Amino acid sequence: MAFPNVRLSNRPLHFIYLCDCSGSMAAQGKMQALNQAIRQSLPGMAEVARQNPEARVLVRAVRFADKAEWHLGEPTPVQQLQWRDLEAGGITAMGDALDLVAGALQSPPMEERALPPVLVLISDGQPTDDFDAGLANLMRLPWAQKAVRLAIAMGHDADLEVLQQFIGPEPSGAGKSPRRPLQASNATTLAQYIQWASTAVVGAASMPASRVSPVGEASGAAPAPGSNIPLPDLPPTLLDPSDDVGPLVW
Amino acid sequence: MNAAWLPGQAISVIGAAHQRQGKPCQDASLCCQLNAGHETLQLLAVADGHGASRYWLSHVGSALACAEAEQAVRQALTQTPLRDQAAWRQLLHSELASRIHGAWLVAVERDWQGRPEAAEQPFSALSYGCTLGLVLLAPQWWGCSGIGDWDLAAVAADGSVQLLSEETGGTGSEATGSLCQPLQEQPWGERALLQPIDEQAPQALVLSTDGVRKSCATDADYLNLCSALIELSRSELQTGLQQITSEGSGDDVSVAMALRPCHRPSATPTRRQPAIRWALAGLTTLALTAVAGLAGWRWLQQPAPLDQLIADLCKAPERIRPTLNQRRSQFAALLKQPNLRQQLQAQANTDPLGALIASNASQSCPTLQLELQRQWREARAAGVKAPAKGKMPATAPSPP
Repeated sequence: MAFPNVRLSNRPLHFIYLCDCSGSMAAQGKMQALNQAIRQSLPGMAEVARQNPEARVLVRAVRFADKAEWHLGEPTPVQQLQWRDLEAGGITAMGDALDLVAGALQSPPMEERALPPVLVLISDGQPTDDFDAGLANLMRLPWAQKAVRLAIAMGHDADLEVLQQFIGPEPSGAGKSPRRPLQASNATTLAQYIQWASTAVVGAASMPASRVSPVGEASGAAPAPGSNIPLPDLPPTLLDPSDDVGPLVW
Repeated sequence: MNAAWLPGQAISVIGAAHQRQGKPCQDASLCCQLNAGHETLQLLAVADGHGASRYWLSHVGSALACAEAEQAVRQALTQTPLRDQAAWRQLLHSELASRIHGAWLVAVERDWQGRPEAAEQPFSALSYGCTLGLVLLAPQWWGCSGIGDWDLAAVAADGSVQLLSEETGGTGSEATGSLCQPLQEQPWGERALLQPIDEQAPQALVLSTDGVRKSCATDADYLNLCSALIELSRSELQTGLQQITSEGSGDDVSVAMALRPCHRPSATPTRRQPAIRWALAGLTTLALTAVAGLAGWRWLQQPAPLDQLIADLCKAPERIRPTLNQRRSQFAALLKQPNLRQQLQAQANTDPLGALIASNASQSCPTLQLELQRQWREARAAGVKAPAKGKMPATAPSPP
């Protein structure tokens, strides 16, 4: 059956990596591990996209060092994505990266019927620019407020406080939570977290599931972090320090 | 009898995603005729269970919402004559909300008590969370009310379609009002409407769950879809809704709609006898083949996309406002960042609508020019307020 003059469409799901490419990422194979983890996650992400045809998974990536720039600027269907290696060198313009993403989350170019985007911030250090201004610029946008925001700290020099600010308020209670920065202490853990974000989280964000508006949201308040998309459980990490097993590499 | 409205139809189709995941259809819908003495009141209802796992009984909640809506309206009919429009307006504004919500809570708790889980877990209405939209069609008037992200569109005698009601407020793209919320948090009154049947009354009303609108690329496509849906038989509607969910949002989809007796098929009817359709399809294929060789030459003759857009909108003025409404955020963005103007104008081939808004190219079409001016006024008045859920407000802004 055809509906003349009607364009039916699945809903775009924008997935954006924000990757720290500062000089410290060159140490101890961190940059190589990140490239490897993202590249290895793509087939799984493509499979999740194939299983959820109602969502059109579009990937982009920002690299930030002395300044932020699009490493992959065109929203690219995950099935067509060929990952080019990131290279390390410079300082940590994280605030600039948030500004850059803010430009992409304006509406337009964001589509009216898009699914909440997924933003994954990966860093091993501390911002060297005005992070607060970048975050404020990003978070004034409704699409940023709706987004699933995740952060991965690579090694123990990462600034957990700014990563937590990016995600939103820390949840109460102890233990690991996707609402806290995920701490990757070696390549294996990093790969597991990247795989989790690009498959389990993308799968959850692809589902057409509505939820009840919390009180106050109807009057324009930002949704509570994590209230938009119920996040799946974190993967078990063999070498996660909070599990108190395995050596620390980074 | 109800001389003002033909018997309508309501149908729910499981979403493509839910079907694949083995989940039930969480939508429910209803169309029924209720006796009111010598007259009849027709009730249309759609309910949409929230899909997330914490609302795991929302398919039950939505079915009970439709059932309780029917009971509440039936009860109201025994006490309130249809001619008393003021009383029905009040019912739609608040009293039906109270009755339906109360009865729904009793019904879902009764359902819970019959479940084995009740022995281990306390009852929570949240598990049954759903939306509810309802339309009442009386001989003298029609009205609507409800809670959540349902949409109501009206098809006019000239074939134009208007979005009459949608949920506003909230910034979460998948967030909605729900029957499972406390009644004082449910803004039924904001969506309540009662209109007399007069010359301006719509020729058809299409009530739908959000899965239908979210399956369309734009609101203009959604309005086009509504005008197409009212031409379909029940079996065609079933097939059509399956197509909508599989090619669109993947969500469950429901429509409940009714036409007035004087409705005439649109100028480009979609409902034809199958044999004629097949003949037309064959002829179309031949015609397409014959003109294929000319295509390369013809595209060179095509007007620029911006000119084409202006011409198209000018020919169909009823599409102007819905088309521009999609870009309210762009008007606001341009007010804040005038330098976006050049960027949009440079992209006229890929985004002619953006270029139209950024330029002053509509002077050849006064209707379009007027609507653009109105949109700019609205954008200035709205300031930096973000659009609700990326969609239009429920009520069209008043003309200046």
